[in-house]
Amino acid sequence: MTRDWWKHLILTLGALIVIAPFYMMVSYSFKSPGEIDRGEGGFFGRQEMMVDERCVKLRDPNRDDIAAALLRFPNQTDAQIRDALLAEATADCSMRPVVFNYTKAFTEAPLLRYLLNGVIVTASIFFIQVLVAVPAAYALAKLKFWGREAVFSLVLFCLLIPVHAIALPLYIMLAKLGLTNTYAALVVPWTISVFGIFLMRQFFMTVPDDLIDAARMDGMGEFAIVWRVMLPTAIPALLAFAIFSVVAHWNDYFWPRIVVTGNRDLFTPPLGLREFKGDGDGSFFGPMMATATVIVMPLIVAFLLAQKRFIEGITLSGMK
Amino acid sequence: MQAISQTVDSLRSPEQETLRRQRRTAWMLTLPALALMVVILLVPVGIAGVLSFTDFSLGNSSFNWVGVKNYDRLLSRSTYEKMFIATFTYVVTVVPLSVGLGLGAALLVQSLGRFRELYKTIYFLPVMATLLAMAIAWEFMLHPSIGMINRTLELGCGTVLERIWPFMANGCAKTFPVWLGDKRYAIWVICFIGIWQGFGFNMVLYLAGLTGVHRELYHAAEMDGAKSGWERFRLVTWPALGPTTVFVVTISCIRAFQVFDTVEAFWPQGGGPNKSTYVMMFAIFEKGVQQNLIGVGASITIVFLGFVMVLTLIQRWLVERKVHYG
Repeated sequence: MTRDWWKHLILTLGALIVIAPFYMMVSYSFKSPGEIDRGEGGFFGRQEMMVDERCVKLRDPNRDDIAAALLRFPNQTDAQIRDALLAEATADCSMRPVVFNYTKAFTEAPLLRYLLNGVIVTASIFFIQVLVAVPAAYALAKLKFWGREAVFSLVLFCLLIPVHAIALPLYIMLAKLGLTNTYAALVVPWTISVFGIFLMRQFFMTVPDDLIDAARMDGMGEFAIVWRVMLPTAIPALLAFAIFSVVAHWNDYFWPRIVVTGNRDLFTPPLGLREFKGDGDGSFFGPMMATATVIVMPLIVAFLLAQKRFIEGITLSGMK
Repeated sequence: MQAISQTVDSLRSPEQETLRRQRRTAWMLTLPALALMVVILLVPVGIAGVLSFTDFSLGNSSFNWVGVKNYDRLLSRSTYEKMFIATFTYVVTVVPLSVGLGLGAALLVQSLGRFRELYKTIYFLPVMATLLAMAIAWEFMLHPSIGMINRTLELGCGTVLERIWPFMANGCAKTFPVWLGDKRYAIWVICFIGIWQGFGFNMVLYLAGLTGVHRELYHAAEMDGAKSGWERFRLVTWPALGPTTVFVVTISCIRAFQVFDTVEAFWPQGGGPNKSTYVMMFAIFEKGVQQNLIGVGASITIVFLGFVMVLTLIQRWLVERKVHYG
């Protein structure tokens, strides 16, 4: 330990730099605009009650409001009623900065919708990828057929093509089909994962042939073998692939940015955040960082809960 | 398979029947993947290739063949010169540094008993996080007046740092840099974030590679007189990590070429101060999608694919030769 102090020093310094933006993001999501501007309040901010000016302005009492409130405040002048109503509004509109930031995050923009879109898109992509890749991987690993080598070479060749790189022609194809600004546009280009085929094939190669022969003896068809025999043996590989796929597509910004323009109903979380940033005037740092925190957290929490699996998953998919 | 069917002559027809059926199922199982591969990956490459010789744009019914004019533009216009400079600056900076830091962190973490998992977890966090969100967080950190970075730098004012470090003296006398608005710093900020995000991934791959290095090799090296840590690293660790390094470098390169999120988050228009961060993916997006200059966008796409493919082919060639840098 004492001999290793310099290693800890270096690694701790590195860790501080790595954590700094996360620290700031979460901390800003707790603080009031004033605290952010002046850079005070420590990590959590002082959490003093603050008044949401916009909310008060929205409830600025007009003549009708005052007339309606006459019953509640008998024997008072209009000016007095007005003041009382304003005081009420101010009371209703004051809250702790943390509450303010997170409610704004969900009310200023349909963040829940964005999150739901993220889940729908990520889940559909993964589901279809598995549906397409697993049978192909099984055929390439365990069935003998004319053309197998050619198909496998094609898989190896396609591994060279990053989907982001061919975004432009894909976008043109989708535009010609009139599919931009649909869920299909967000999902379709990712339905084929050559990498998934490759990974699952490598895994299936290690499954003993006897297992498949036994299944055939029992009268199982090839389709049944794929889903009921092969898939269960490949759970570790499948999990690795799931992590790989979900992380990539939950965080993806480039592709949604291209095919979704303006239609908020289709925004994925990163697009929503981007829109939020575009709209924001200076005072909205807090809610924006709250949004960022909400978007980043699901994967981070999942990662912290199952670190080993995640790291294994990413390295397994990395090591090919 | 042939030998079997020849020797077992009596079983020939049912045997062949099974084979035939197996072949048919095999194709049925492969077909969806095959079709999607062709339509989603191969056809677009072809389309990009064809369109790069045209002045096609969405909404126009016809287009003209313009020969190599688009490619000619890429080589002659200063905008694209800036694009190549920005992209290569990024790749050449981020790849060595994120690989080097990844390896360094892996070696340090590996040699520790305590807190190993903690460091691993922390360094891996940026890999998991949505880059766009983190880019926005960095933007606040880099804010010229209320950002954490310039505030931290201000703390150094009046200390000895101010005398020994010209940057500091300058910053304290006037102001600290407007990191994202200054063409001298913008591309380096992007590089820094790229490294920040990617080196944890490389570290984890190296840690996996390190578990594959045999203990006996170190003993053997020590017997042969490799006393210092550096000697042991040079003679044993580095050669043994050869395959990992080839992979890590390739994947870092491909990722580096695809940098987009940070550039778009900081400068939605135009690719940074004086186009100093006008990287290729952003150029494809801006020219092809936003400005509907699809011919130009397609030619950038083709050049881009060329780079990525050459890189990957070099990697495969190295792996097949089983290079161990010995």
